[in-house]
Amino acid sequence: MDSSVSPFSYRDIIQEGDLALVWISRDNIKPIIVDANHMFNTRYGSFSHKSMIGKPYGSQIAIRTKGQNRFSFIHVMQPSPELWTLSLPHRTQIVYTPDSSYIMQRLNCNPCSTVIEAGTGSGSFSHAFARTVGHLYSYEFHSVRYEQALKEFKDHGLPNVTLTHRDVCSDGFTIKRNDPTSYLFQDDAAQATINANAVFLDLPAPWDAVPLLDQVIARDQKVGVCCFSPCIEQVDKTIEALEKCGWTEIQMVEIQGKQWESRRQMVRTLDDALERLRDVRRRKEEGIERRKQMYDAVLKDDEADGEKSERPQPPKTKFNPFGKGTRVREGDVNYQWKQVTKVEPEIKSHTSFLTFAFKIMDKSRIC
Amino acid sequence: MDYLHHITADQHVILKLPSGNWKIVELKPHTSVSLGKFGAFQVDDIIGYPLGTQFEIYYENQSQPNDDDPKNKNRTPVGKVRIMDEDVGGSTEGSELSNVNSSANNMNLINIGNEIQAMTSEQIEELKRQSISGEEIVAKMIESHSAFHKKTLQSQEKYLNRKKRKFAKYFTVEYLSASFLLQWLLEKGDTQKVLDMSEETVAMLLNVANIRSEGQYLCMDETGGLLVYFMLERMFGGDNNSSHTGKIVVLHENEHANLDLLKYSNYSEKFINDHVKTVSLLDFFEPPNESEIDSYFKPIPKEEARQLKAGKKNAYQRRLKWYYNQHEIVQLSTKSQYDALIIASTLQLSTLVPLLAEKVHGSRPVVCYSQFKEILLELTHTLYTDLRFLAPSISETRVRPYQSVRGKLHPLMTMRGGGGYLMWAHRVIPAPEPPAHETEDEGNGPEEKKQKTQ
Repeated sequence: MDSSVSPFSYRDIIQEGDLALVWISRDNIKPIIVDANHMFNTRYGSFSHKSMIGKPYGSQIAIRTKGQNRFSFIHVMQPSPELWTLSLPHRTQIVYTPDSSYIMQRLNCNPCSTVIEAGTGSGSFSHAFARTVGHLYSYEFHSVRYEQALKEFKDHGLPNVTLTHRDVCSDGFTIKRNDPTSYLFQDDAAQATINANAVFLDLPAPWDAVPLLDQVIARDQKVGVCCFSPCIEQVDKTIEALEKCGWTEIQMVEIQGKQWESRRQMVRTLDDALERLRDVRRRKEEGIERRKQMYDAVLKDDEADGEKSERPQPPKTKFNPFGKGTRVREGDVNYQWKQVTKVEPEIKSHTSFLTFAFKIMDKSRIC
Repeated sequence: MDYLHHITADQHVILKLPSGNWKIVELKPHTSVSLGKFGAFQVDDIIGYPLGTQFEIYYENQSQPNDDDPKNKNRTPVGKVRIMDEDVGGSTEGSELSNVNSSANNMNLINIGNEIQAMTSEQIEELKRQSISGEEIVAKMIESHSAFHKKTLQSQEKYLNRKKRKFAKYFTVEYLSASFLLQWLLEKGDTQKVLDMSEETVAMLLNVANIRSEGQYLCMDETGGLLVYFMLERMFGGDNNSSHTGKIVVLHENEHANLDLLKYSNYSEKFINDHVKTVSLLDFFEPPNESEIDSYFKPIPKEEARQLKAGKKNAYQRRLKWYYNQHEIVQLSTKSQYDALIIASTLQLSTLVPLLAEKVHGSRPVVCYSQFKEILLELTHTLYTDLRFLAPSISETRVRPYQSVRGKLHPLMTMRGGGGYLMWAHRVIPAPEPPAHETEDEGNGPEEKKQKTQ
């Protein structure tokens, strides 16, 4: 793969060396580096990378499994920040798309934005920011996660992301020479010029970081901040710090994201139910009648051997409008169905509270 | 790029008023803007300040210029502006209450209606005419409120905030983002015009559709251009001189596309023409034939065109424009592959989406908005049986706003219902079924195969 092209920019054809996402199922998406000598193994079978190369992204790769001769397939997808988020092993708590998309919209993120993010965490939100904004300054205090993220951002070709190893709550956001950072310093600059106009704080104690923001946010324009905290006590302390530091329009919200499953329920009419009961009753009466006849016949024909006479079987019903006793698959064309929705079995009922605030440091007039 | 961060002449901005209402104005230099009971200000006085600044309107001379002209009787006097350093719209506890007694509860509070206020409404109107500051009026009202001290502190605060909003003369000048435009439309009751779309739903749409600069998108927008504005903001950030590329092709069911709301954006006409292309559904599905276009008209060399006489020249230019436009339609409808399909339309989606998705590149998202879940339900059932769509699903996103005051954090008592739903799927390219190792087929119908990924 051309190293100057990010695997996250639009690409059409699967090539050797590409980072691709293999979609096995909705909750099983795996990243791979395409290598003609490798196989991708699943419990449904093995897929050769060779069979992917040269095909357009989004291609289905199908095989027959050797043992059972079953049809099995995967899809090879091009990574996008949202698919990448779905593919992450959920080691750390990650910011999911309903939250991250709303935060980006409220902070008006676009190619003209410069954004600060602390901490980096799994780097899931960083990818979404990197796609959209002009530049992202991301801070991570955990040294192993910093190293991981550093490598990942390099591999993913995200040139507009600067990653810095830092505990922002104690040491602030300013990036100086000799700091552990991916920032590229101009010839004789002592420190980085950041001028962020949007800030996202995913920290246990954002109130410690809030007072340190003034040094790195743009002075002459409206700057937005979003603090992401799971507990309401944290929100209370955050609001206190924001007010003290001159942030205004403070508003806290919560996001509820839900997925709906599309299902079908069989249309079962009262008429059919009544008819079925009538049918049962009819057959019962027929059965009684038959047994009576048989009994009469036995009485009449005394010398006949009892063993000879067969027990009469009632005829199997032909009226079975709901497929009772058979296995009916949802959507079977022989039945009538009503399309219905059902909310996913487990919903994320609380992710975090989102506290937004805004500030203009220097309200002086320009000519 | 001053217009992105600073108040600029001839720019559309949105004003936030003390009542919580919004007003969109175009800042024509040397004119004044009236905010009704909240006063009026000179446009020239606010130019150059950062967008987001809150201004207070004040009047230096207490007496008004002689108002003999009956026409001017209802005109709001134009005041001067000064920057407000504290946010009044919030819930900052007023110092006004520090020297007033309050009650621990509301036991002694009896509703006797208007008589509780010693000042008559005429007297209050007179104060307003004198144009003294809102705070002074509120202070006078508290003074002459006979039961104010019987109110609890909380209720006094509420009263104060309510009256402040009523008499205050301030406003905030905000950048007219797509989110603010949506909020403005919703608040003035145009819910249906924007198909009941909420900010959180359109935000989710922009992310899952992977909207970014350098993308080429196929779009249907029945919200009068609001959705296109949201997309443009994500792609270019309001910057007319953006170095980024990217294009939105808008399909429309009427003779002309309705992108009316783009008039409030600050993109130049040229910028919009360069990045937003409109094609009718008929032209898209039954594009003109290239050779027919060429047989109908052929451009002549520039030299010759320049020498045409004035009348002929105009006719020539018109036909040249038509010629290029026709060729562009051919290009966009037959030769382009798109990076996403985004639909906010009330046309039947289950027939529309499978046809339009043909033009979407593999692995790219297909995202449809509807205010009704049932519409998307029908669509997902259709797409489940079509192997070109991977994992269609319906999502719902709702924001729950809180009263954001320390020690009194709780969800707001009421919020907007609705907000719509999204269908999200990926366009994929099905593979032909591989031959079986043995002749025996296990009878895995396509339906069964699909189950695995669902």
